[in-house]
Amino acid sequence: MAVSAPALHDALADIAGREHVLGDAAALAPYAVDGMVPGVVIRPDRAEQVSRVLALCAAERLAVVPRGAGTSQGFGNPPRRLDVILELSRLAAVREYVPEDMVATVEAGVTLDALAAHLAPHRQMLALDPPGGGSRSVGGVLATHASGPLRFRYGTGRDLLLGARFVQADGTLTWGGAKVVKSVTGYDVPKLLVGSLGTLGVLVEATVRLHPVPPASRSWQLGFPAPDAAAGFLAALLDSPIQPDRAVLVDAAGLRRVGLSVDPLAVLLSISSVPEAVDAQGQTLERLAAEHRGRSTPLAESTWPRLGLALNGPTLLRAAGEPRRLLHWTGEAQAAATRAGAGISVLAQPGHGVLQASVAPSQDPARIARDLVLPLRRALEAEGGSLVIERGPVDLKSQCDVWGGISPEILAITRRIKTEFDPYGLLSPGRFVGGL
Amino acid sequence: MALNAQTLRELEGIVGPAGLVVSREGLLTYECDMHTFYKGAPDAVALPQSAEQVAAIVRLCRREHVPIVPRGSGTGLIGGAMAPVGGVMVSMTRMTRIVELDFPNRCATVEPGLINLWLSQATRAGGYFFAPDPSSQMVSSIGGNASTNAGGPHCLKYGITVNHILGLDVVTGAGELVRLGGKTHERPGYDLTGVVVGAEGTLGLVTGVIVRLTHLPEAVKTILASFSTIEDASETVSAIIRAGIIPAALEMIDEVVIRAIEEGIGAGYPKGAAAVLLIELDGPAAEIEAQAGPIEALCRDHLALEVRVAQSEAERALLWKGRKEAAGVFGRLTPNWLLQDAVVPRSKLPQIMKELQAIGARHRVVIANVFHAGDGNLHPLICYDDRVPGELQRAKQANEDLLHACLRLGGSVTGEHGVGLDKSESLPLQFAEADLNFMARLRRTFDPDSIMNPGKLLPSHPACGEGFRPTAPRLPAGAWI
Repeated sequence: MAVSAPALHDALADIAGREHVLGDAAALAPYAVDGMVPGVVIRPDRAEQVSRVLALCAAERLAVVPRGAGTSQGFGNPPRRLDVILELSRLAAVREYVPEDMVATVEAGVTLDALAAHLAPHRQMLALDPPGGGSRSVGGVLATHASGPLRFRYGTGRDLLLGARFVQADGTLTWGGAKVVKSVTGYDVPKLLVGSLGTLGVLVEATVRLHPVPPASRSWQLGFPAPDAAAGFLAALLDSPIQPDRAVLVDAAGLRRVGLSVDPLAVLLSISSVPEAVDAQGQTLERLAAEHRGRSTPLAESTWPRLGLALNGPTLLRAAGEPRRLLHWTGEAQAAATRAGAGISVLAQPGHGVLQASVAPSQDPARIARDLVLPLRRALEAEGGSLVIERGPVDLKSQCDVWGGISPEILAITRRIKTEFDPYGLLSPGRFVGGL
Repeated sequence: MALNAQTLRELEGIVGPAGLVVSREGLLTYECDMHTFYKGAPDAVALPQSAEQVAAIVRLCRREHVPIVPRGSGTGLIGGAMAPVGGVMVSMTRMTRIVELDFPNRCATVEPGLINLWLSQATRAGGYFFAPDPSSQMVSSIGGNASTNAGGPHCLKYGITVNHILGLDVVTGAGELVRLGGKTHERPGYDLTGVVVGAEGTLGLVTGVIVRLTHLPEAVKTILASFSTIEDASETVSAIIRAGIIPAALEMIDEVVIRAIEEGIGAGYPKGAAAVLLIELDGPAAEIEAQAGPIEALCRDHLALEVRVAQSEAERALLWKGRKEAAGVFGRLTPNWLLQDAVVPRSKLPQIMKELQAIGARHRVVIANVFHAGDGNLHPLICYDDRVPGELQRAKQANEDLLHACLRLGGSVTGEHGVGLDKSESLPLQFAEADLNFMARLRRTFDPDSIMNPGKLLPSHPACGEGFRPTAPRLPAGAWI
C-alpha cells in the first residue's frame, strides 16, 4: 500500500462520506474473507462512487473484493491479498421498470426480496431462487452464478441477464448488452460477467429479463424407495410433455433438514400454468410417479423458500456432470461421504445434472479433502464434469483448490482475459480458477 | 492481398486439391452473403473436413498474417461471410455430420456445417427438436446460427441460439483448438461459450457444436388475426404480453407483404387487411386451449377483422410457409431494398410503428414489414429502385432515421441478424467508447494478430477499410429474414 492507512481512509471518505468507510478492527471483523480481514470497508451508494473507488485502488495497487449481501462471500479460493472490501448493498435502487417490457434495470445491491416486492403488483418475477433466498443481492447472485429450483424452466443468470453496467479495475464505467429482450449488437459481455466472481469488473447495475407469474401453481413431493426408481421417473419425466417450472431431487438427510416427510429420495416439483393445465399435467405426473414406485403427496408452496435449509452448514460442494448421470453421482457422493465419515445432505437439479451437497461439520478437513472431495472430483472430471467447493472452511480450502482442474488451453485463454482487464491482479486476486 | 504460392501449396496440403477454391469463377460464389450490397471475394476458399484441418489453416494464416473469414451457408444478412480485405475463407460446407444424438442428456453434437432443419428432422422421431428456428433454417447452418446467435420466430418463447448451446469446439485466432463447455451444464471459469456464440467468427472458428435438444410440445395452435390498421395490430401485441401470455411466436405482417405473399405463395392471408398477426401457442394441450380464448378475445377487443385458428397441420404449415419464405417474394414488391433488424422495448411497438410510417412518408419510400412483434424485433424492408436517381439516398436516409428512432426508444441496433460489416459503424450509437474499447480488448485476447474476420462486428479502424468495394445492391435470388 503506497499511501498510509489514514490517507487512504480520508480519500475514501471523500468519495462516499466518512460514515460509509469502516476502518476500526471491530467493524472490519465481520467482513473477513476466509479469515482475512480487510484494511478498510467502503460502502458507496452509486456507480460513480464505485468508479472513483476502483480508480483510487488501481492507482494505489490495492486489492479489492466486492461484496453484495455477503451471503456467498466465502465462494472462491482464499484471496491472495485483501485491502479493500467494496460493499454494494447501498446501491439498492430499481432504476427502470416498465411492466409491459418485462425487463427491469436494477442496481447490484438490490435484494431478490426487494425486487420481488417491486414486481409483485404487476404479477411479474425475476425467475432466480437460489438457496439462501431473498436476502441475496442481484449482483451477488449473478456474479456467483447462483440458481435454484426455478432453473428447471427459466435457466440461470446466464439466460436472464440482458445488460450489465460494471466498473473495470481501472475505474472505467462500462456497459455491455442491451435493455431489450433480444439483442446481438456486439459481444455478449454480460455472459462474461455471470459467474466471474468480481474478477473482471464490479457489477453495479443489471438489466434482467422478467417473466409473468403463472396464474396457478401446485407442488408435489414424489417419494421414491430407491435410486433406480427415482432415476427411472426422472428419465420418464424429462422425456414427457409435462412442463414443470421447478424440480429438485433431495435425499433423506436433506428432506429431514427441510422438515419434510422422509423418503430415501424425493423429487420436489411444481407445475405452474393456467389452472386447467396444472390439473391435467398433475394427473399425468402422479401416474408417471406411480409407474416408478413413487408416492405422491402435496407439497406446501411455502416449502420452496425453505429448501436452502438442506444446504446450510460450513461446507457446501457443487458437482456437475452429464444430466443422465445425476443419480449415479448422488450415490457416489453419498458413498464417498460415508468413507470420509461425514454426513451429507444432497439437493440436485435434475434438468441440469448439478448436485449440491452440504457436509456436516463434524469431520476433519484433511479427511474430507482426501476421502470425499478429491476422489469425487477425479471421477467427475474423468467424465467431463467438475466439483467445486462453494463454501468451506479455510482448512479445507488449503487442502484442495476450490475449483478443481481446468484444461491448460482454457486456462491460457482465461489468463489472457484476466490479465487484459486486471493487469495488476487487484480484483478478487487469487479467488478464481487457476488461482487467478 | 494475394496469397503467395507457398501459402497456397500449404493450404492445399491441409485440405487437399478438392478442398481448395482459387479460380476466379469459383471465388465469385463466395464474394458476398445474402447482403449482396457488400462484395469482397477471398483469395482462396478452404473447405476443411475436420477440426484439425481448421486448426492447421488458422496456424498457417497466422504465420503468414493472412485474414480468415468463416462461412457457413452464406445466408447471413449483414455482410459477415464476405472478405472485404481478401484472405482465406473457411467454408464449413464439408463438415455437416451429426456426430452424436444423446437423448438421455437431451443434447446433440454436430459439425458446424450441418443445416439447422436437418437436426430437427433427425431428432423428431425421438420426440425432440432444435429450438432456434431462423427463417433460413432449411438452408442455414448450425455453426452459422451459433456464430451470429441467430433468432427466429419461436425464440419469443424458447430463447435465442445461445440459450441452446451447451458447448463449442473452437479454433481461436491464436490457433488453439479448445472445447468450451460441453454436455455438462456448468463448469468452473468464465462462460467462454457464451462469449464466442454471436462473435461472428471474430474470436475463432467454430468446428463443433453441442446443442440442447428441446422436447416437442404436446400440442400446437396457430391463430391468424387480421386488422384494419397497423396500430390495432401493434396494440394487440402489447396487450397479449401485458396479459402475461408469452406465445411461442407472435409475428406481424403488413399489407404490402401480405399482398406479395399471397401473389407468390398463397398462404391464405386475408388480402386487404392492413396487418395480420400470426400467433402460435405451443405446450401442454390444456394450457394452449386455455390461453387461446383470451388471445382471441384480445384480438377482437382491438377490432380484429377476422380471427382464424388453423384447423389442420396443412393449414398451419401453409401459414408458416408464408411467413418464413416472405423474403423470397420481395422481388414482387421492389427491385431493391434495404433491410435492418433493430429492436425496441416491447411497450414501444405501437409508437415505433407510427414513427416508421411517418419516416417512410417523409422520405417517400415504401417500408414493408414482416417481423417478430412479440420481441419488439423489427424487420423493416425499405423499398427503392436504384434506376431512379436519388431513391437509394432516400432509402438510406429512411433506414438511418428509423435506426435512430429505435435507439431513442431504448432499443438495440440488431436483434438477431448480427453486426457484420453492415452495422459495425452503427455500434457507437448504442455503446460508448469505453464499452467498445472493452469489446476490442476482449477480441484481442482471442485473436492477438487481428486476423479473424477483420472489419466485422466492431467499428473499423480507418486503416482497415482497404479493399472494401461496395457495389450497387441487387435483389438476391432468395433471402430469409
